[in-house]
Amino acid sequence: MNLDFSVLWGEPGRLILQGLVMTLKLSAWSLLFAFVMGLVFGTLRWLGLRWLEPICWFYVEFSRNTPPVVQILFWYFSASYILPQWMFLELRDFGYEFGAAVLALSIYHGAFVAEVIRAGLNSVHKGQFEASRALGLGFLQSLGFVILPQATRVILPLLTNEATALIKNTSLAMAIGVVEMTYQYKSIDNFLFRGVEALTAITVIYLVLCLVTAGLGALLSRYLSRHTRRRSAGQAVLVSE
Amino acid sequence: MNWERVWTAANWERLLVGDLFNTGQPGGLLITLAIGVGSIVAGTVIGAVLGVLRSSDRRWLWVPAMLYIQTFRNVPLLILVFWAFFVPPIFGLEISQFTSVLLAISLFTGAYIAEIVRGGILSIAPGHIEAARALGMSRIQVLMWIVMPQAFFNMLPALAGRYVVSVKNTSLAFLIGLADLTEIGKQIGARLMTAPIEIYLTLFLIYFVVNRAISWATRLLENRERFNALFLRV
Repeated sequence: MNLDFSVLWGEPGRLILQGLVMTLKLSAWSLLFAFVMGLVFGTLRWLGLRWLEPICWFYVEFSRNTPPVVQILFWYFSASYILPQWMFLELRDFGYEFGAAVLALSIYHGAFVAEVIRAGLNSVHKGQFEASRALGLGFLQSLGFVILPQATRVILPLLTNEATALIKNTSLAMAIGVVEMTYQYKSIDNFLFRGVEALTAITVIYLVLCLVTAGLGALLSRYLSRHTRRRSAGQAVLVSE
Repeated sequence: MNWERVWTAANWERLLVGDLFNTGQPGGLLITLAIGVGSIVAGTVIGAVLGVLRSSDRRWLWVPAMLYIQTFRNVPLLILVFWAFFVPPIFGLEISQFTSVLLAISLFTGAYIAEIVRGGILSIAPGHIEAARALGMSRIQVLMWIVMPQAFFNMLPALAGRYVVSVKNTSLAFLIGLADLTEIGKQIGARLMTAPIEIYLTLFLIYFVVNRAISWATRLLENRERFNALFLRV
């Protein structure tokens, strides 16, 4: 066995970069939709509406207790039975496996994000919401300007964790043939016989991707809590004096 | 929806035990549970050791533990499964699909559990440790008899979450061709060709029941008295 990492400058490297672009696209779309789903369902569960509560509970529990890869397979294979035919044909031309992967990943991670957001909303005192409503802010205004900015500070580390988990789970999209980085490893291994070199490079890329995401999350968290941090530092000085 | 074509006795048998009674080849839920239980046990052991090392204040202990945790937490599990399955044969080491999936999930789960263990150890008030040290217990004794029993109880909810994830992760086994629950479901679906919704809903149902059972079992343990009766000798 002779390893030659210089082959990565040639054809395998080009394929890996193509895969990386697809992984990034998949991550970006899924992250966007997962956060939207999480925001909607997290807020609904926080409100505790009687009629919606069982639906939200079922969605969250179902998503959290079934494997993501089975969800990806489900949305991929059952689409031709669920969707109207014209829509399915349209999607198939567009490249349906990408859409199915985005759908499955955002539904799966949306459930986790919903739980995180519900916890964040619960961490803000209920009186804040009541006070902002009493001052004449609308429901969305008090949520967006009063509650969520405070909740975000608390839940940002958890949301960052969720984002890295999502980036890692995009590798499952290879099960339905989305040509992302993990899929490219298989094709490099099968056709160019440079499996170990490609796998090493891909592992490093995933590692960097996830660590950068975690780092950005930490920076953002520092930035958002800059006022509270300064105040608590001031308090510490007062106490010591 | 034609459930009667999917929920036949033969299909249920394959989903639950694979071809165990036909060819002697186990599969289905049996394999899924075997990998799940194996990786939960191995992952907990790896995680406990790494977590203790990670919370040490000696640099040569916590730096390697931290590097391991950060590496394994930030790489997709599928990549680890590929490392464990496709790379050893190149160096002349034959490894079965079952062993490689078990290995990959255990190492991956271990990294997550290590962080949970570290959190659990941090949750113990320092007074307990100081008191035990003052009473003449060694560091190891303090860890085994004072810190760990209390930390384990605090860690239960987080551990339950990880165990559920670990059972969900066994579904990756089908990507290297092991006949686990997902693979059997895919095979049945490919044979029937017209019932993907029923097949995958059945798979969801089985995974859901197993995972809820795990959460329920750990919630039983979260009762202080029951926990003490099982794990503490008074």
